[in-house]
Amino acid sequence: MNWTGAARTIVVCAILIVLHFTLRPLLAWRASIDFLIVALLLGSVRLRPGSAAVYGFLLGLVADSLSVGGFGASALGMSVVGFAASWLKAVFFADNLALNGFFLFLAKWVFDLIVLLVGIRSANGIAMQIFVWSPLSAAVTAVAGVIALSLLKPLMEVRTA
Amino acid sequence: MASAARLGNKVDAGLLAGCVVLSLIAVVLKDQDREPIASALRRTIVAPLVTLQRGAERWRTAWASSDARQAAADSIALRAVKAQALIVENDQLRKIIGLGSRLEWGFVPAEALHSTAPSEDIVTTLTLTSGSTAGIKQYSPVVAPEGLVGTIYKADPTMSIAILYTNPDFRASAMTADGATFGIIYPHTDRVGGSNAYMLELRGVPTRTKLAANTVIYTSGLGGTFPRGITIGNVVQEVKTSEVWTRTYLMRPAVTPSRVTSVLVLTAQRVTQGTGNVWGAAVNTDSAARKIAAAGDSLAKQAALLEAQARQAALDSVKRATIDSVRRSLGAAPMPITPADSAAIKRAGAAGAPGVPGQTAPVVRDTGAAVRRPATPARPDSIKKPR
Repeated sequence: MNWTGAARTIVVCAILIVLHFTLRPLLAWRASIDFLIVALLLGSVRLRPGSAAVYGFLLGLVADSLSVGGFGASALGMSVVGFAASWLKAVFFADNLALNGFFLFLAKWVFDLIVLLVGIRSANGIAMQIFVWSPLSAAVTAVAGVIALSLLKPLMEVRTA
Repeated sequence: MASAARLGNKVDAGLLAGCVVLSLIAVVLKDQDREPIASALRRTIVAPLVTLQRGAERWRTAWASSDARQAAADSIALRAVKAQALIVENDQLRKIIGLGSRLEWGFVPAEALHSTAPSEDIVTTLTLTSGSTAGIKQYSPVVAPEGLVGTIYKADPTMSIAILYTNPDFRASAMTADGATFGIIYPHTDRVGGSNAYMLELRGVPTRTKLAANTVIYTSGLGGTFPRGITIGNVVQEVKTSEVWTRTYLMRPAVTPSRVTSVLVLTAQRVTQGTGNVWGAAVNTDSAARKIAAAGDSLAKQAALLEAQARQAALDSVKRATIDSVRRSLGAAPMPITPADSAAIKRAGAAGAPGVPGQTAPVVRDTGAAVRRPATPARPDSIKKPR
């Protein structure tokens, strides 16, 4: 990835991160869009797995710093998801929006699973969260990610591997 | 090349392992240990993001509260409109109740539904929620607390239709408060709209009679449709017509039909027996004043008659005493007064005083009693002089 591509990726990820802290509170949906996951996947596929893990770890720390409990859970989840995304970048780079959407869905659900299981403090409603709200949130995130990919495609110059 | 790739994979695995270990350490940290880290992050790197999030949440709160405020404002406005309507309706109902209590009997309350077609500018008919089963008949008068509204045009069992004074077919015999001037009420046809949309004409007023502005006009009771004394309206001004022997006056009605929501329909028996002083008609007040004046005159006449009788009795006594004195002075026997005279005087006093209920008969002085007393010595001058 050249410097121009890196700069574009940083800009797009910054936009997504800003959206996470502006649009998401505005919408305030029960199953909310996780723009950090979208930003994580978009950045991870352009990095080496190790770097993607570090990138995910940093994003997770940002998310954890604003959460009440489970500090470190998001960092762990994003590290794993970022590493996996970077490792599976060939798949993710496939010029197929449906496939990209599916991987966004999967990434968000795995992330939620890790956060819920690691940062668990009470078993009350965890099944509901895992099987209802997390899939819903993952689906919404996948849709939003696909839309974001479609809009930012010219900017990012996505190339298939 | 392959060793570089293997090295790269090892580095990647090491980085992942490091991240995982660090994350797990963060997870297992106690609250007092993790909070400084989180707080440091919030104050430095995450601070701009926190600011963005706070702004977004403020926007959302403002948006939600603006919707709530708008809804509250709408509710308040709606309540204000309803409250105003309720105040007006309450006022009308109070007046109707007051009118009902004054009438006491012989009326049917009804709710007035405005049935005028939208194409019509003014209200000429009303649909009433009471009908013939309640005692309403055709031509029954429809009244409101302010005065005359109209008359029943058609009475169905459960509802009836009333024509208002604005209807071209409406007529009513009218008079002034003193009952000196009579005329016929017609709807005023040259309507100008606005506050003057509902006006009346008082036609057939004799030319010799000139009515001042604001003179209150009442129903006269002639014709048998409307009882005497229902307020119709006030005279506004005279209308110039081609009539030579009569005058026509423009009148402002007491009742505004568009505001009528509740009315009373007078029964036929009540029409026959009249409504009395329900609308404060001066005709009734005048008749009461006449009765009071007549009663006063009667009392004055009785008092004058009693006074005249007393005066006559006193004069008689003086005259009799004078005659007695003269007779005594001349040596003649005093003029005898027979018991029959006293009785006659008493009878005359009793019969002459017509009497007022609850009042005793006037005392008539009996001059004969003093004369008849034998023990009374004669006055020295009247005894000595003849001798």
